[in-house]
Amino acid sequence: MIVVLWSIRRVLAALVTLAGVSVLIFASVRLMPGDYTDLVLGPLATEAQRALAVAASGLDLPIPEQYLRWIGGVLTGDLGYSFVSNVSVTEEFAARLPVTATIAALTVVVTLLVGIPLGFVSALRAEGSAGAVGRFVSALGISVPEFLLAGLLVFAVSTLGLGISVGQYSSFAEDPGRFFGSLVLPIVVLSVGCVAVVARNTRDAVLNVLVEPHVQASVARGETPMFIIRHHVLRNAAVPILTIVGALVAVLLGGTVIVEFVFNVPGMGSYLQTALGRRDYNIIQNAVLLAAAVFIVTALVVDLVSNAIDPRLRLTGGSRR
Amino acid sequence: MRTRTTAGAAITAIALLALTGCTGASGPAPAATSEEVAPGFLAVADDTAPAGGELVVQVDYDTAEAGGLDPQSAATARSWMLEGLVYETLTTIDENLAVAPGLAASWETPSDTQYVFTLADDAVFSNGRPMTAADVVGSLQRLRDTPVTWTGQLGPIVSIEATGDLEVTVTLSEPYTPFLAALANTPAAILPMAEIEAGTVDITTEMLGTGPLVASAHRQDEQWTFVPNEHHPDAASLGFSTLTVDIVGDEATRAAALRDGSADLAILNSTDSASLLSGAADVRVATQRNTDFHYLMINSIGGDPALADEKVRFALNSAIDRDAINALVFGGSTAVTGVTPAGLPDSCDPSELASSARDVAAAKSAIDAVGGLDLNLLVYTDEPVLAQIAQVIQQNLAEIGVTVSIEQVDYATYSGKVYADPSDFDLALSWFAGYADPAMVTTWWNPTLAGFSSVYMTGSSDLNAAIATGASTPAGEERATALAEVCDLADRQSEMVPLVLRPSTIGWNTAELSPTLTADEGYGNVLRHITEFRVG
Repeated sequence: MIVVLWSIRRVLAALVTLAGVSVLIFASVRLMPGDYTDLVLGPLATEAQRALAVAASGLDLPIPEQYLRWIGGVLTGDLGYSFVSNVSVTEEFAARLPVTATIAALTVVVTLLVGIPLGFVSALRAEGSAGAVGRFVSALGISVPEFLLAGLLVFAVSTLGLGISVGQYSSFAEDPGRFFGSLVLPIVVLSVGCVAVVARNTRDAVLNVLVEPHVQASVARGETPMFIIRHHVLRNAAVPILTIVGALVAVLLGGTVIVEFVFNVPGMGSYLQTALGRRDYNIIQNAVLLAAAVFIVTALVVDLVSNAIDPRLRLTGGSRR
Repeated sequence: MRTRTTAGAAITAIALLALTGCTGASGPAPAATSEEVAPGFLAVADDTAPAGGELVVQVDYDTAEAGGLDPQSAATARSWMLEGLVYETLTTIDENLAVAPGLAASWETPSDTQYVFTLADDAVFSNGRPMTAADVVGSLQRLRDTPVTWTGQLGPIVSIEATGDLEVTVTLSEPYTPFLAALANTPAAILPMAEIEAGTVDITTEMLGTGPLVASAHRQDEQWTFVPNEHHPDAASLGFSTLTVDIVGDEATRAAALRDGSADLAILNSTDSASLLSGAADVRVATQRNTDFHYLMINSIGGDPALADEKVRFALNSAIDRDAINALVFGGSTAVTGVTPAGLPDSCDPSELASSARDVAAAKSAIDAVGGLDLNLLVYTDEPVLAQIAQVIQQNLAEIGVTVSIEQVDYATYSGKVYADPSDFDLALSWFAGYADPAMVTTWWNPTLAGFSSVYMTGSSDLNAAIATGASTPAGEERATALAEVCDLADRQSEMVPLVLRPSTIGWNTAELSPTLTADEGYGNVLRHITEFRVG
């Protein structure tokens, strides 16, 4: 019952947050200098062309009416049309979201498979060479900027002939092999940073649990290391790891601008970047709102799962100790 | 220990790759070749080369026009190129930038205000309907009646009439020398007027032309796919089965695609790309001269109050070292220009302009007289070369006591500051398409005709009159004199200051593609001779 009430409270809070975010997004977009008609028409356009474009894009309406139309459309599932392509926002997103979702999902899989074991090894062998390597790899992964790694990979694969082409994206429906092939490099680049972050947090979480009295008591009782890890460390370290993984999922789903741009993958990140440059308001507003919603929902799910994992969170309604 | 060794080797490999990638760019950039393989051509397709393959071209950005796919409202060179694959014009331009027959097989000029066009008898729209004189009349009339950017370039048209089954007569109110060149660009394309008037085709969303290709698919900002127009006279001899145009924003990715063979041809933005590709097998990079040119706006209306003084503006103009811009930014691959694009017939000689003396002492004296200047210089990030030009100008102006702060912003922000009323900048860099006739671009120096420039420049009645004279004087020595006057007046007024031509850098995979590329281009159409391309 407590969990249900807690969940209802969180959902209501999320809705209020989203409403506030929508106002911020709308205001931010309108405060950006330059608008779509200036940009697309260019300086040489005639006044008649300009007037036509302004009317066609609805930018001649009062600002409050523009907001109400947008938010009303969001609530009824009508997200409007892209100024540039004149295709519905829903259709544009439907073509790009699966790409970003696939990249995000596969990156998370790689991250979990590599990052968590690496973090455990770093923690359990904190004083040895394995721990040092783990720390070094984590520091390196966090430090190397995505654009640098992506640029190096682009150069390397095109020069060394590794059988991977850069920028040859194809949709899953057209060519599944090429689709996944085109995602290999983006996933590698994203995974480096994500693995580093997860490994680092896993290491810290495990180290924190290892010094807890109940773990030390287990050691004193003579329980085997594997038993201690399985029964006392894993579950207790899971909550902070889950939190960081949840944040990574949200960030990845929100769009991975740099890798999508460099590797020419048509996902949400590169699309949002292009839309920002063109002041394609309908795309920007809905994409950012969607990213905010993803972030909020992911945080909600992480909290719910954390509650399920850690009984202490349940008892306190979300606040641990 | 083994892990450490492996990690060390990996790091070393990455560092070596980074160094390999940077070495060429850090030294003097070896300019892409501009060597002509035949007079006027950077490359000529080999008729015996394998043909029938899929042609893949990568470009940096997609067409995005408020008028959708309607070619008449197309305002950017990218739209002209892509839509020019599907549409054709009455005239075209050849490798010497001279006007040549297009859909008009020939023409006569009974007087200096009348043009009688004889239309090609084999032009057929991709829906199978032959082009008629009514399509030509309707298209030009539509362009004349709908005020778009290109309407002004067509000149003072009085009437457009079908004077035969395959004959159209256009009458002007006064002589206008650029008329035939203005007809050669995509906005003057011949449209399927019967279908447009019947409402069976919406040309803002669908392209239907007489050109060699038909757009079969388009995903905005991602990809175009074109297939042959089976009704085109060159359909049977096309050297490729399909054309895919990939939109790839990152320059390094386009260079990589050339290197690994996944693109047959790519448009590059930087001459440094030639360095990056210098070791690549089967890749050739060439510089195509363009009539487009970079220019500096000096805001005499909304900028620093001192900029209202012509002497101050001329001091800034004469302090700029155009040769240094050419050498440092373009690796010496381009040329200094005046208002009329260098290289076009009758264009003025930039070395004869007053500013070319580059009298730094006189310029410094003029700036000292106003107590020195602190100016901002606005550039937009979409065109990285502008920031490089800005740095040279910043150093040049420092020599005469002007402190310049460079502001890099996205194009929307730039547009909001430069073209808004009131404008909000001191100096700004941009570029103009130079077109195929030297008088066409001079229009923009008349703020009343141009419109957009009226927020930052006042112009003068002398300059406006000189521009009008340059447009109406027949090509030849007399026009060269008239255009020299335009250049001289614009140079002295120094409100829009031409700098250097803006070349295109083109890379192609010689193992897969045998293209025909002209050494000069007037409308940014790298694919002008696509019907001659052959892909194995």
